[in-house]
Amino acid sequence: MTALLTMEQVSGALREYGPAEQVRKNRIRVNTDPQKILSAIKAAQQFLDCDHLILISCTDDTGSFGLTYHLTGPHRTVISLAVSVPRESPQVFSVSDILPPAAIYERQIHDLFGIVFSGHPGLTRLMLNEDWPDGEYPLRKDWKPNKANSYGGAAPEGA
Amino acid sequence: MVEVMVPIGPQHPALKEPVNFRIYVEGEKIVRLDLDLSYNHRGIEKAAEERNFIRVLPLLERVCGICSHSHATVFAKGIEEIMDLEVPARAQYIRTIMAELERMHSHLLWLGVAAHEIGFNTLLMWTWRDREAVLDTLEEMSGNRVHYNMNEIGGVRLDLSEKQVAAAQQRLPLLEDRIAQYVDMVSHQETMLIRFRGVGKLSKEEILKYGTVGPTARASGVDYDVRRDDSYLVYDEVPWNVVTDSSGDVYGRTKVRIGELSESLKIVRHCIENLPEGPVRVASTPKMAPKGEILSRYEAPRGELAHFIRTNGTDKAERLDIRTPTLANWTSVAKALVNQNLADIPVIVAAIDPCLSCTSRMTVIDTGTQAQGSISWEELVRKCRARYGMGVQP
Repeated sequence: MTALLTMEQVSGALREYGPAEQVRKNRIRVNTDPQKILSAIKAAQQFLDCDHLILISCTDDTGSFGLTYHLTGPHRTVISLAVSVPRESPQVFSVSDILPPAAIYERQIHDLFGIVFSGHPGLTRLMLNEDWPDGEYPLRKDWKPNKANSYGGAAPEGA
Repeated sequence: MVEVMVPIGPQHPALKEPVNFRIYVEGEKIVRLDLDLSYNHRGIEKAAEERNFIRVLPLLERVCGICSHSHATVFAKGIEEIMDLEVPARAQYIRTIMAELERMHSHLLWLGVAAHEIGFNTLLMWTWRDREAVLDTLEEMSGNRVHYNMNEIGGVRLDLSEKQVAAAQQRLPLLEDRIAQYVDMVSHQETMLIRFRGVGKLSKEEILKYGTVGPTARASGVDYDVRRDDSYLVYDEVPWNVVTDSSGDVYGRTKVRIGELSESLKIVRHCIENLPEGPVRVASTPKMAPKGEILSRYEAPRGELAHFIRTNGTDKAERLDIRTPTLANWTSVAKALVNQNLADIPVIVAAIDPCLSCTSRMTVIDTGTQAQGSISWEELVRKCRARYGMGVQP
């Protein structure tokens, strides 16, 4: 365990990716551009010693989707790299080749939110059952079950 | 040689949990595998968006039957941070006692399962018997064996009485003695040495590369432990150590978990002996949480658990993103299995202590009148003893 990263260190290393903001003592957030996410993560790995991905959190922000990559390292500071992906074409580069644990989280997000991670080696279904209707993403805010569709398991009442 | 695909699960020999592996083998050697977790997606994250903070905690306890306290605590502490609530010390101590008892019962359960996987059923019987002492304590304190439901936003639901504390204290020497025996056993017991050593090896570099968490990571010398790294509850006030090992195999994971049993017992003892006086919850908890976002982290028995919570000024969470330790550990299991023998699958898979879902509840139904209801612990004990001719409780 080493000392916590300071704002100066983080904003110095990630300056070109966006402004850093100290959310609390051990949490620093950087809002960046989806095009830059790969290089931002590489920079965090190289200059800030980040060796562990805690999770990729995904939110439905109505007009867009928010993806936040939470990284940490021996300094135990959580660096959150946030990007916003447009709703009409939800596509972002996969980071699974530089960060292998991301692969399973990206599959999960793809399954539940319908975000496409380009360059992912196997973006197949992970969480939802195999007969779940295509194109329906249950964690989107505007998703409602369609009575005409079957969502797997027991047949709907009255069917 | 021709590759053959062997499907294992969703019902399987290794663990009583729904997961399907498609294992590609050449002869006895595993080449690669795919996995399918889709048997039990219950939509809890979606359901959590629909419930207010009072109703969401019992739901989150049901994410997992073993780590129920973990999920409720990590969520409650996240919301409390957003609401800027100062939780009374006594409540934090009680949460810590529950958390460490939960870790003990989980590790004892794991040790039994691992022993069973290698055909060492005597150890399974021993550990699960000892686990009962932990479960009894949890039940006395909370009323339940698995879904304790101790948390509420701003504190805990139930205070501990002197009688409960005394009963818990009385069981500690027995557990201490039993854990010391396991510590001793793991150093020289022949069956454990033969079947655990060198199996499912992962180096420190691989652990970091594949994002493994918890005892599996610590067994390869990666000393990540959220209890120390991003301290919460009272872990910064209590004397305890992060347990690590350098062997990186199933043997190392066994040693780490047994080591953590001793540490947890130390923490429970310290908290029970130094339980501060005072209230167990804040005087009044606001119904609404202001707009905010938080990443709440917790060291569950299986490793780092993270809840990403976003609130929007109402009494419900706008988004709850749960990353359970088992999801983080699958990538490394897939890696650890490559080049191993087909016969070692159960023990390697079991070594991360995978937990997909489980639940256990009881309702008493009168088969004559169909009336449903609950029953007190004393009544249940009395009925059981009468039924099985064990006499009346002294």
